[in-house]
Amino acid sequence: MIIPIITLSTYIFLYKMVRAPPEYASFVIVGGTMMAFWANVLWNMSAQFYWEKETGTLEAYMVAPISRMAILLGMALGGFVNTTIRAVAVFIAGILIFQVPIAIYEPVTALLIFFLTIGALYALGMMFASLFLLYGREAWHTANLLQEPIQFLSGTYYPTSSQVVPFMVQLLSSLIPLTFGLDGIRKVAILGQGITAVWPNILALTIFTLILLPLARQALSFMENLGKREGRLTLRWQ
Amino acid sequence: MAVGTILRTVKQAVWLGWKVETNWADPIVFAIYYLVRPVAGLLIVGFIFLIGSFVSGIIDSNLFTFLFIGNSFFIYVIQIMMTMTMLIHEDRAHYEVLKHIYLAPGSLSWYIVGRALNGVMNASVSLLLTLGLGIAIFQYGLGIQVPINWLGIDWGLLGLTLLLGIVCFMGMGFILCGINIMTSKVQFMLTEYVSGILYLFGGVVFLPEILPTWGQQISNALPVTYFLKTVRSSFLHQANFDVQLNLLYLVVTMIGTVLLGLAVFKVAMFKARRDGLIDKKEEY
Repeated sequence: MIIPIITLSTYIFLYKMVRAPPEYASFVIVGGTMMAFWANVLWNMSAQFYWEKETGTLEAYMVAPISRMAILLGMALGGFVNTTIRAVAVFIAGILIFQVPIAIYEPVTALLIFFLTIGALYALGMMFASLFLLYGREAWHTANLLQEPIQFLSGTYYPTSSQVVPFMVQLLSSLIPLTFGLDGIRKVAILGQGITAVWPNILALTIFTLILLPLARQALSFMENLGKREGRLTLRWQ
Repeated sequence: MAVGTILRTVKQAVWLGWKVETNWADPIVFAIYYLVRPVAGLLIVGFIFLIGSFVSGIIDSNLFTFLFIGNSFFIYVIQIMMTMTMLIHEDRAHYEVLKHIYLAPGSLSWYIVGRALNGVMNASVSLLLTLGLGIAIFQYGLGIQVPINWLGIDWGLLGLTLLLGIVCFMGMGFILCGINIMTSKVQFMLTEYVSGILYLFGGVVFLPEILPTWGQQISNALPVTYFLKTVRSSFLHQANFDVQLNLLYLVVTMIGTVLLGLAVFKVAMFKARRDGLIDKKEEY
Protein backbone atom coordinates (compact mmCIF):
# COMPACT_ATOMS: atom_id res chain seq x y z
CA MET A 1 0.00 0.00 0.00
CA ILE A 2 2.90 2.36 0.73
CA ILE A 3 4.36 2.41 -2.80
CA PRO A 4 1.15 3.68 -4.49
CA ILE A 5 0.68 6.27 -1.74
CA ILE A 6 4.23 7.55 -2.33
CA THR A 7 3.55 7.88 -6.07
CA LEU A 8 0.17 9.54 -5.52
CA SER A 9 1.69 11.97 -3.03
CA THR A 10 4.26 13.14 -5.58
CA TYR A 11 1.60 13.98 -8.15
CA ILE A 12 -0.72 15.57 -5.58
CA PHE A 13 2.12 17.81 -4.40
CA LEU A 14 2.80 18.71 -8.04
CA TYR A 15 -0.85 19.77 -8.44
CA LYS A 16 -0.50 21.76 -5.20
CA MET A 17 2.58 23.53 -6.55
CA VAL A 18 0.62 24.80 -9.56
CA ARG A 19 -2.42 25.62 -7.39
CA ALA A 20 -4.85 23.28 -9.13
CA PRO A 21 -8.32 22.82 -7.52
CA PRO A 22 -8.59 20.05 -4.88
CA GLU A 23 -10.62 17.69 -7.11
CA TYR A 24 -7.45 17.15 -9.15
CA ALA A 25 -5.94 15.48 -6.11
CA SER A 26 -9.04 13.24 -6.08
CA PHE A 27 -8.39 12.42 -9.75
CA VAL A 28 -4.91 11.26 -8.78
CA ILE A 29 -6.22 9.06 -5.99
CA VAL A 30 -8.79 7.39 -8.27
CA GLY A 31 -6.08 6.89 -10.91
CA GLY A 32 -3.63 5.44 -8.41
CA THR A 33 -6.30 3.09 -7.09
CA MET A 34 -7.14 1.79 -10.55
CA MET A 35 -3.42 1.45 -11.33
CA ALA A 36 -3.30 -1.34 -8.75
CA PHE A 37 -5.64 -3.36 -10.99
CA TRP A 38 -3.63 -2.60 -14.12
CA ALA A 39 -0.44 -3.74 -12.34
CA ASN A 40 -2.28 -6.89 -11.29
CA VAL A 41 -3.39 -7.55 -14.86
CA LEU A 42 0.16 -7.13 -16.16
CA TRP A 43 2.22 -8.93 -13.54
CA ASN A 44 -0.10 -11.41 -11.86
CA MET A 45 -2.08 -12.47 -14.88
CA SER A 46 -0.37 -11.68 -18.19
CA ALA A 47 3.09 -12.50 -16.89
CA GLN A 48 1.90 -15.55 -14.96
CA PHE A 49 2.77 -17.91 -17.81
CA TYR A 50 6.27 -16.41 -17.85
CA TRP A 51 6.74 -17.26 -14.17
CA GLU A 52 5.36 -20.76 -14.73
CA LYS A 53 7.67 -21.28 -17.69
CA GLU A 54 10.73 -20.09 -15.76
CA THR A 55 9.92 -22.26 -12.74
CA GLY A 56 9.18 -25.27 -14.93
CA THR A 57 5.52 -25.68 -13.98
CA LEU A 58 3.94 -24.56 -17.25
CA GLU A 59 3.95 -28.18 -18.49
CA ALA A 60 1.62 -29.12 -15.63
CA TYR A 61 -0.85 -26.49 -16.71
CA MET A 62 -0.62 -27.59 -20.34
CA VAL A 63 -1.42 -31.24 -19.66
CA ALA A 64 -4.31 -30.43 -17.30
CA PRO A 65 -7.75 -31.08 -18.86
CA ILE A 66 -8.89 -27.46 -18.58
CA SER A 67 -8.94 -24.48 -20.89
CA ARG A 68 -6.24 -21.82 -20.72
CA MET A 69 -8.96 -19.21 -20.23
CA ALA A 70 -10.14 -21.04 -17.10
CA ILE A 71 -6.62 -21.00 -15.66
CA LEU A 72 -6.31 -17.29 -16.33
CA LEU A 73 -9.79 -16.60 -15.00
CA GLY A 74 -8.90 -18.35 -11.75
CA MET A 75 -5.72 -16.34 -11.49
CA ALA A 76 -7.67 -13.18 -12.29
CA LEU A 77 -10.19 -13.83 -9.52
CA GLY A 78 -7.48 -14.56 -6.96
CA GLY A 79 -5.52 -11.50 -8.01
CA PHE A 80 -8.66 -9.38 -8.08
CA VAL A 81 -9.51 -10.17 -4.45
CA ASN A 82 -5.99 -9.31 -3.24
CA THR A 83 -5.78 -6.21 -5.39
CA THR A 84 -9.21 -4.98 -4.30
CA ILE A 85 -8.15 -5.07 -0.66
CA ARG A 86 -4.98 -3.13 -1.51
CA ALA A 87 -6.80 -0.69 -3.81
CA VAL A 88 -9.51 0.06 -1.22
CA ALA A 89 -6.80 0.69 1.38
CA VAL A 90 -4.98 3.05 -1.01
CA PHE A 91 -8.24 4.86 -1.82
CA ILE A 92 -9.22 5.35 1.82
CA ALA A 93 -5.69 6.30 2.90
CA GLY A 94 -5.41 8.78 0.03
CA ILE A 95 -8.72 10.43 0.96
CA LEU A 96 -7.83 10.61 4.64
CA ILE A 97 -4.26 11.86 4.16
CA PHE A 98 -5.03 14.52 1.58
CA GLN A 99 -8.60 15.36 2.65
CA VAL A 100 -9.81 15.36 -0.93
CA PRO A 101 -13.44 15.79 -2.05
CA ILE A 102 -15.46 12.67 -2.97
CA ALA A 103 -19.12 12.92 -4.02
CA ILE A 104 -20.82 9.63 -4.90
CA TYR A 105 -24.55 10.13 -5.47
CA GLU A 106 -25.06 6.97 -7.55
CA PRO A 107 -23.03 4.16 -5.97
CA VAL A 108 -24.62 1.52 -8.25
CA THR A 109 -23.44 3.41 -11.35
CA ALA A 110 -19.95 3.74 -9.83
CA LEU A 111 -19.84 0.00 -9.15
CA LEU A 112 -21.15 -0.81 -12.63
CA ILE A 113 -18.39 1.24 -14.30
CA PHE A 114 -15.80 -0.22 -11.97
CA PHE A 115 -16.74 -3.83 -12.77
CA LEU A 116 -17.02 -3.13 -16.49
CA THR A 117 -13.52 -1.60 -16.38
CA ILE A 118 -12.17 -4.60 -14.52
CA GLY A 119 -13.81 -6.95 -17.05
CA ALA A 120 -12.26 -5.13 -20.00
CA LEU A 121 -8.84 -4.90 -18.34
CA TYR A 122 -8.71 -8.59 -17.47
CA ALA A 123 -9.81 -9.50 -21.00
CA LEU A 124 -6.91 -7.40 -22.27
CA GLY A 125 -4.66 -9.16 -19.77
CA MET A 126 -5.69 -12.56 -21.13
CA MET A 127 -4.65 -11.39 -24.58
CA PHE A 128 -1.25 -10.31 -23.29
CA ALA A 129 -0.89 -13.66 -21.54
CA SER A 130 -0.73 -15.32 -24.95
CA LEU A 131 2.48 -13.41 -25.67
CA PHE A 132 4.07 -14.85 -22.54
CA LEU A 133 3.29 -18.36 -23.78
CA LEU A 134 5.74 -17.91 -26.63
CA TYR A 135 8.16 -15.18 -25.67
CA GLY A 136 10.47 -14.77 -22.72
CA ARG A 137 12.27 -11.56 -22.05
CA GLU A 138 10.66 -9.83 -25.04
CA ALA A 139 7.25 -10.22 -23.42
CA TRP A 140 8.68 -9.34 -20.02
CA HIS A 141 10.12 -6.09 -21.35
CA THR A 142 6.89 -5.38 -23.23
CA ALA A 143 4.92 -5.70 -20.00
CA ASN A 144 7.47 -3.37 -18.39
CA LEU A 145 6.95 -0.98 -21.26
CA LEU A 146 3.19 -0.94 -20.71
CA GLN A 147 3.41 0.93 -17.43
CA GLU A 148 4.30 4.63 -17.86
CA PRO A 149 2.99 4.88 -21.45
CA ILE A 150 -0.39 3.44 -20.39
CA GLN A 151 -0.46 5.74 -17.36
CA PHE A 152 0.22 8.66 -19.67
CA LEU A 153 -2.27 7.72 -22.40
CA SER A 154 -5.10 6.59 -20.14
CA GLY A 155 -4.92 9.78 -18.06
CA THR A 156 -4.28 7.95 -14.83
CA TYR A 157 -3.37 11.17 -13.05
CA TYR A 158 -5.24 13.78 -15.09
CA PRO A 159 -8.39 14.03 -17.21
CA THR A 160 -7.57 13.31 -20.86
CA SER A 161 -10.64 15.36 -21.81
CA SER A 162 -8.78 18.56 -20.85
CA GLN A 163 -8.31 21.14 -23.62
CA VAL A 164 -4.58 21.02 -23.01
CA VAL A 165 -4.32 17.38 -24.14
CA PRO A 166 -3.68 17.26 -27.90
CA PHE A 167 -6.24 15.54 -30.13
CA MET A 168 -3.80 12.79 -31.18
CA VAL A 169 -3.19 11.84 -27.55
CA GLN A 170 -6.95 11.80 -26.91
CA LEU A 171 -7.42 9.60 -29.96
CA LEU A 172 -4.78 7.12 -28.80
CA SER A 173 -6.15 7.15 -25.27
CA SER A 174 -9.58 6.13 -26.57
CA LEU A 175 -8.06 2.78 -27.62
CA ILE A 176 -7.42 1.86 -23.98
CA PRO A 177 -10.35 0.61 -21.85
CA LEU A 178 -8.78 2.09 -18.71
CA THR A 179 -9.31 5.60 -20.11
CA PHE A 180 -13.09 5.14 -20.25
CA GLY A 181 -13.15 3.47 -16.85
CA LEU A 182 -11.16 6.22 -15.15
CA ASP A 183 -13.17 8.96 -16.80
CA GLY A 184 -16.46 7.34 -15.79
CA ILE A 185 -15.43 6.63 -12.21
CA ARG A 186 -14.15 10.19 -11.79
CA LYS A 187 -17.39 11.65 -13.13
CA VAL A 188 -19.49 9.53 -10.78
CA ALA A 189 -17.27 9.48 -7.69
CA ILE A 190 -15.71 12.96 -7.72
CA LEU A 191 -17.83 15.24 -9.85
CA GLY A 192 -21.11 13.81 -8.52
CA GLN A 193 -22.55 13.04 -11.97
CA GLY A 194 -25.01 10.25 -12.76
CA ILE A 195 -25.65 7.53 -15.32
CA THR A 196 -26.85 10.06 -17.91
CA ALA A 197 -23.34 11.52 -18.03
CA VAL A 198 -21.47 8.22 -18.19
CA TRP A 199 -23.54 6.05 -20.53
CA PRO A 200 -20.94 6.48 -23.35
CA ASN A 201 -18.32 5.10 -20.94
CA ILE A 202 -20.54 2.13 -20.09
CA LEU A 203 -21.14 1.44 -23.78
CA ALA A 204 -17.43 1.72 -24.66
CA LEU A 205 -16.39 -0.61 -21.83
CA THR A 206 -19.02 -3.18 -22.81
CA ILE A 207 -17.82 -3.12 -26.43
CA PHE A 208 -14.18 -3.49 -25.31
CA THR A 209 -15.06 -6.56 -23.22
CA LEU A 210 -17.11 -8.15 -25.98
CA ILE A 211 -14.29 -7.71 -28.49
CA LEU A 212 -11.34 -8.52 -26.25
CA LEU A 213 -12.60 -11.77 -24.70
CA PRO A 214 -12.98 -13.76 -27.98
CA LEU A 215 -9.74 -12.18 -29.24
CA ALA A 216 -7.94 -13.38 -26.11
CA ARG A 217 -9.25 -16.91 -26.69
CA GLN A 218 -8.04 -16.88 -30.28
CA ALA A 219 -4.67 -15.42 -29.34
CA LEU A 220 -4.08 -18.00 -26.59
CA SER A 221 -4.91 -20.86 -28.91
CA PHE A 222 -2.75 -19.46 -31.74
CA MET A 223 0.28 -18.79 -29.55
CA GLU A 224 0.03 -22.19 -27.85
CA ASN A 225 0.00 -24.00 -31.19
CA LEU A 226 2.84 -21.84 -32.50
CA GLY A 227 4.83 -22.51 -29.35
CA LYS A 228 4.30 -26.26 -29.71
CA ARG A 229 5.34 -26.18 -33.38
CA GLU A 230 8.50 -24.19 -32.69
CA GLY A 231 9.30 -26.06 -29.47
CA ARG A 232 9.38 -22.86 -27.45
CA LEU A 233 6.43 -23.42 -25.16
CA THR A 234 8.49 -24.57 -22.19
CA LEU A 235 11.81 -23.05 -23.19
CA ARG A 236 13.39 -21.35 -20.16
CA TRP A 237 15.86 -18.44 -19.95
CA GLN A 238 14.82 -16.96 -23.30
CA MET B 1 44.15 -6.03 -5.66
CA ALA B 2 46.17 -4.97 -8.71
CA VAL B 3 44.83 -2.04 -10.69
CA GLY B 4 44.95 -4.14 -13.88
CA THR B 5 42.69 -6.80 -12.34
CA ILE B 6 40.22 -4.15 -11.12
CA LEU B 7 40.04 -2.52 -14.54
CA ARG B 8 39.61 -5.89 -16.26
CA THR B 9 36.82 -6.83 -13.84
CA VAL B 10 35.01 -3.53 -14.35
CA LYS B 11 35.40 -3.76 -18.14
CA GLN B 12 34.06 -7.33 -18.26
CA ALA B 13 31.16 -6.41 -15.97
CA VAL B 14 30.20 -3.44 -18.17
CA TRP B 15 30.33 -5.68 -21.24
CA LEU B 16 28.32 -8.42 -19.52
CA GLY B 17 25.72 -5.93 -18.29
CA TRP B 18 25.38 -4.54 -21.80
CA LYS B 19 24.90 -8.02 -23.25
CA VAL B 20 22.37 -9.09 -20.61
CA GLU B 21 20.30 -5.96 -21.04
CA THR B 22 20.40 -5.68 -24.80
CA ASN B 23 20.58 -9.16 -26.31
CA TRP B 24 16.82 -9.76 -26.19
CA ALA B 25 16.11 -7.31 -28.99
CA ASP B 26 17.65 -5.72 -32.06
CA PRO B 27 19.26 -2.29 -31.47
CA ILE B 28 16.31 -0.26 -32.77
CA VAL B 29 13.79 -2.04 -30.54
CA PHE B 30 16.20 -1.67 -27.63
CA ALA B 31 16.59 2.08 -28.30
CA ILE B 32 12.82 2.52 -28.41
CA TYR B 33 12.53 0.60 -25.15
CA TYR B 34 15.07 2.87 -23.48
CA LEU B 35 13.33 5.94 -24.85
CA VAL B 36 9.64 5.19 -24.32
CA ARG B 37 9.55 4.76 -20.54
CA PRO B 38 11.49 7.89 -19.53
CA VAL B 39 9.69 10.02 -22.14
CA ALA B 40 6.31 8.69 -20.99
CA GLY B 41 7.33 9.47 -17.39
CA LEU B 42 8.20 13.03 -18.43
CA LEU B 43 4.92 13.36 -20.34
CA ILE B 44 2.93 12.29 -17.25
CA VAL B 45 4.43 14.97 -15.00
CA GLY B 46 4.49 17.48 -17.86
CA PHE B 47 0.77 17.06 -18.52
CA ILE B 48 -0.07 17.14 -14.80
CA PHE B 49 1.81 20.45 -14.68
CA LEU B 50 0.12 21.81 -17.80
CA ILE B 51 -3.42 20.75 -16.90
CA GLY B 52 -3.02 21.93 -13.30
CA SER B 53 -1.56 25.26 -14.45
CA PHE B 54 -4.27 25.66 -17.09
CA VAL B 55 -7.11 25.33 -14.58
CA SER B 56 -5.37 27.61 -12.07
CA GLY B 57 -4.73 30.18 -14.81
CA ILE B 58 -0.95 30.55 -14.31
CA ILE B 59 1.66 28.74 -16.42
CA ASP B 60 5.08 29.40 -14.86
CA SER B 61 7.79 28.32 -17.31
CA ASN B 62 10.46 28.47 -14.59
CA LEU B 63 8.56 25.85 -12.59
CA PHE B 64 8.23 23.76 -15.74
CA THR B 65 11.99 23.96 -16.29
CA PHE B 66 12.50 22.92 -12.67
CA LEU B 67 10.34 19.84 -13.28
CA PHE B 68 11.82 19.14 -16.72
CA ILE B 69 15.44 19.05 -15.54
CA GLY B 70 14.63 17.26 -12.29
CA ASN B 71 12.62 14.50 -13.90
CA SER B 72 15.12 14.02 -16.74
CA PHE B 73 18.20 13.71 -14.50
CA PHE B 74 16.39 11.45 -12.05
CA ILE B 75 16.93 8.76 -14.71
CA TYR B 76 20.40 8.23 -13.21
CA VAL B 77 18.92 7.39 -9.82
CA ILE B 78 16.39 4.97 -11.27
CA GLN B 79 18.83 3.22 -13.62
CA ILE B 80 21.61 2.78 -11.06
CA MET B 81 19.18 1.63 -8.36
CA MET B 82 17.42 -0.74 -10.76
CA THR B 83 20.65 -2.24 -12.10
CA MET B 84 22.23 -2.72 -8.68
CA THR B 85 19.06 -4.06 -7.07
CA MET B 86 18.31 -6.59 -9.77
CA LEU B 87 21.80 -7.93 -10.42
CA ILE B 88 22.21 -9.95 -7.21
CA HIS B 89 18.85 -11.61 -7.76
CA GLU B 90 19.49 -12.28 -11.45
CA ASP B 91 23.04 -13.55 -11.02
CA ARG B 92 22.31 -15.66 -7.97
CA ALA B 93 18.81 -17.03 -8.45
CA HIS B 94 17.98 -16.67 -12.12
CA TYR B 95 21.25 -17.39 -13.98
CA GLU B 96 23.00 -19.02 -10.98
CA VAL B 97 26.40 -17.47 -11.75
CA LEU B 98 27.00 -15.38 -8.63
CA LYS B 99 29.06 -18.13 -6.98
CA HIS B 100 31.35 -18.27 -10.04
CA ILE B 101 31.77 -14.50 -10.06
CA TYR B 102 32.52 -14.60 -6.34
CA LEU B 103 35.22 -17.23 -6.88
CA ALA B 104 36.83 -15.44 -9.85
CA PRO B 105 40.09 -13.51 -9.28
CA GLY B 106 38.37 -10.11 -9.57
CA SER B 107 36.42 -8.74 -6.62
CA LEU B 108 32.61 -8.93 -6.48
CA SER B 109 32.47 -5.27 -5.43
CA TRP B 110 34.28 -4.13 -8.58
CA TYR B 111 32.07 -6.40 -10.67
CA ILE B 112 29.02 -4.64 -9.17
CA VAL B 113 30.63 -1.26 -9.93
CA GLY B 114 31.06 -2.38 -13.56
CA ARG B 115 27.42 -3.45 -13.82
CA ALA B 116 26.35 -0.12 -12.28
CA LEU B 117 28.49 1.73 -14.85
CA ASN B 118 26.54 -0.06 -17.53
CA GLY B 119 23.41 1.37 -15.91
CA VAL B 120 25.05 4.83 -16.05
CA MET B 121 25.70 4.38 -19.78
CA ASN B 122 22.08 3.41 -20.41
CA ALA B 123 20.86 6.29 -18.27
CA SER B 124 23.03 8.75 -20.22
CA VAL B 125 21.52 7.59 -23.52
CA SER B 126 18.01 7.83 -22.04
CA LEU B 127 18.77 11.29 -20.64
CA LEU B 128 19.94 12.71 -23.97
CA LEU B 129 16.96 11.27 -25.83
CA THR B 130 14.51 12.44 -23.14
CA LEU B 131 15.92 15.97 -23.10
CA GLY B 132 15.76 16.18 -26.90
CA LEU B 133 12.26 14.74 -27.24
CA GLY B 134 11.02 16.63 -24.17
CA ILE B 135 12.08 19.96 -25.70
CA ALA B 136 10.59 18.96 -29.06
CA ILE B 137 7.23 18.02 -27.49
CA PHE B 138 6.81 20.70 -24.85
CA GLN B 139 8.60 23.69 -26.35
CA TYR B 140 7.96 23.24 -30.05
CA GLY B 141 4.82 21.07 -29.87
CA LEU B 142 2.92 22.59 -26.96
CA GLY B 143 4.48 26.06 -26.86
CA ILE B 144 5.89 25.96 -23.30
CA GLN B 145 9.01 28.10 -23.06
CA VAL B 146 11.90 26.24 -21.46
CA PRO B 147 14.37 29.01 -20.54
CA ILE B 148 17.59 27.02 -20.94
CA ASN B 149 20.51 28.49 -22.83
CA TRP B 150 21.89 25.26 -24.29
CA LEU B 151 25.14 26.93 -25.38
CA GLY B 152 25.73 28.45 -21.97
CA ILE B 153 25.58 25.32 -19.80
CA ASP B 154 28.31 25.21 -17.14
CA TRP B 155 29.80 21.89 -18.33
CA GLY B 156 32.44 21.83 -15.60
CA LEU B 157 29.86 22.09 -12.84
CA LEU B 158 27.55 19.62 -14.59
CA GLY B 159 30.35 17.07 -15.07
CA LEU B 160 31.47 17.36 -11.45
CA THR B 161 27.87 17.05 -10.19
CA LEU B 162 27.23 14.01 -12.34
CA LEU B 163 30.41 12.35 -11.11
CA LEU B 164 29.57 13.01 -7.45
CA GLY B 165 25.94 12.00 -7.96
CA ILE B 166 26.77 8.76 -9.74
CA VAL B 167 29.28 7.73 -7.04
CA CYS B 168 26.68 8.59 -4.40
CA PHE B 169 23.91 6.57 -6.08
CA MET B 170 26.31 3.63 -6.39
CA GLY B 171 26.83 3.92 -2.64
CA MET B 172 23.05 3.60 -2.20
CA GLY B 173 23.10 0.71 -4.66
CA PHE B 174 25.62 -1.15 -2.49
CA ILE B 175 23.21 -0.87 0.44
CA LEU B 176 20.51 -2.45 -1.73
CA CYS B 177 22.91 -5.16 -2.95
CA GLY B 178 23.69 -5.95 0.69
CA ILE B 179 20.00 -6.22 1.55
CA ASN B 180 19.34 -8.39 -1.52
CA ILE B 181 22.13 -10.81 -0.78
CA MET B 182 20.64 -11.51 2.65
CA THR B 183 17.02 -11.72 1.47
CA SER B 184 14.96 -13.27 -1.33
CA LYS B 185 12.49 -11.84 -3.81
CA VAL B 186 12.43 -8.30 -2.46
CA GLN B 187 14.30 -6.80 -5.41
CA PHE B 188 11.26 -5.28 -7.18
CA MET B 189 9.73 -3.88 -4.01
CA LEU B 190 13.07 -2.51 -2.84
CA THR B 191 13.67 -0.58 -6.07
CA GLU B 192 10.17 0.88 -6.01
CA TYR B 193 10.37 1.91 -2.35
CA VAL B 194 13.77 3.56 -2.66
CA SER B 195 13.19 5.32 -5.97
CA GLY B 196 9.64 6.31 -4.89
CA ILE B 197 10.86 7.89 -1.65
CA LEU B 198 13.69 9.70 -3.43
CA TYR B 199 11.25 10.89 -6.11
CA LEU B 200 8.85 12.24 -3.50
CA PHE B 201 11.33 13.89 -1.15
CA GLY B 202 14.25 14.69 -3.50
CA GLY B 203 12.78 17.85 -5.03
CA VAL B 204 12.47 16.12 -8.40
CA VAL B 205 9.23 17.50 -9.87
CA PHE B 206 8.01 19.98 -7.26
CA LEU B 207 9.67 22.43 -4.90
CA PRO B 208 10.52 20.78 -1.54
CA GLU B 209 8.98 23.85 0.15
CA ILE B 210 5.53 22.43 -0.77
CA LEU B 211 6.16 19.47 1.57
CA PRO B 212 5.19 19.63 5.25
CA THR B 213 8.02 20.56 7.64
CA TRP B 214 8.95 16.94 8.43
CA GLY B 215 9.05 16.23 4.69
CA GLN B 216 11.35 19.18 4.09
CA GLN B 217 13.70 17.84 6.76
CA ILE B 218 13.85 14.49 4.97
CA SER B 219 14.45 16.33 1.70
CA ASN B 220 17.32 18.28 3.26
CA ALA B 221 19.02 15.06 4.32
CA LEU B 222 18.92 13.42 0.89
CA PRO B 223 21.87 13.69 -1.52
CA VAL B 224 19.44 13.59 -4.50
CA THR B 225 18.11 17.00 -3.44
CA TYR B 226 21.58 18.59 -3.69
CA PHE B 227 22.41 16.64 -6.84
CA LEU B 228 19.37 18.03 -8.65
CA LYS B 229 19.84 21.54 -7.24
CA THR B 230 23.40 21.64 -8.57
CA VAL B 231 22.40 20.15 -11.93
CA ARG B 232 19.75 22.89 -12.26
CA SER B 233 22.36 25.51 -11.34
CA SER B 234 24.68 24.29 -14.09
CA PHE B 235 21.83 24.59 -16.62
CA LEU B 236 20.42 27.89 -15.42
CA HIS B 237 23.65 29.75 -14.59
CA GLN B 238 23.25 30.24 -10.91
CA ALA B 239 26.95 30.24 -9.99
CA ASN B 240 26.68 31.81 -6.57
CA PHE B 241 27.13 30.93 -2.90
CA ASP B 242 24.17 28.53 -2.93
CA VAL B 243 25.76 26.44 -5.65
CA GLN B 244 28.95 26.03 -3.66
CA LEU B 245 26.96 25.19 -0.55
CA ASN B 246 24.83 22.64 -2.44
CA LEU B 247 27.98 21.13 -3.92
CA LEU B 248 29.49 20.89 -0.45
CA TYR B 249 26.33 19.19 0.87
CA LEU B 250 26.44 16.80 -2.08
CA VAL B 251 30.07 15.89 -1.32
CA VAL B 252 29.31 15.36 2.38
CA THR B 253 26.19 13.25 1.75
CA MET B 254 28.03 11.32 -0.99
CA ILE B 255 30.91 10.42 1.36
CA GLY B 256 28.41 9.38 4.04
CA THR B 257 26.36 7.27 1.60
CA VAL B 258 29.38 5.55 0.08
CA LEU B 259 30.87 4.70 3.48
CA LEU B 260 27.51 3.38 4.68
CA GLY B 261 26.97 1.44 1.44
CA LEU B 262 30.35 -0.27 1.59
CA ALA B 263 29.93 -1.08 5.28
CA VAL B 264 26.47 -2.61 4.75
CA PHE B 265 27.71 -4.60 1.76
CA LYS B 266 30.76 -5.88 3.67
CA VAL B 267 28.65 -7.02 6.62
CA ALA B 268 26.09 -8.58 4.24
CA MET B 269 28.81 -10.49 2.37
CA PHE B 270 30.27 -11.75 5.63
CA LYS B 271 26.88 -13.02 6.76
CA ALA B 272 26.10 -14.42 3.28
CA ARG B 273 29.36 -16.40 3.25
CA ARG B 274 28.81 -17.63 6.81
CA ASP B 275 25.18 -18.66 6.16
CA GLY B 276 25.72 -20.08 2.67
CA LEU B 277 23.62 -17.49 0.88
CA ILE B 278 25.95 -16.78 -2.06
CA ASP B 279 24.68 -19.75 -4.06
CA LYS B 280 21.20 -19.82 -2.54
CA LYS B 281 18.59 -21.21 -4.94
CA GLU B 282 15.18 -19.64 -5.30
CA GLU B 283 12.26 -20.36 -7.57
CA TYR B 284 14.14 -20.96 -10.80
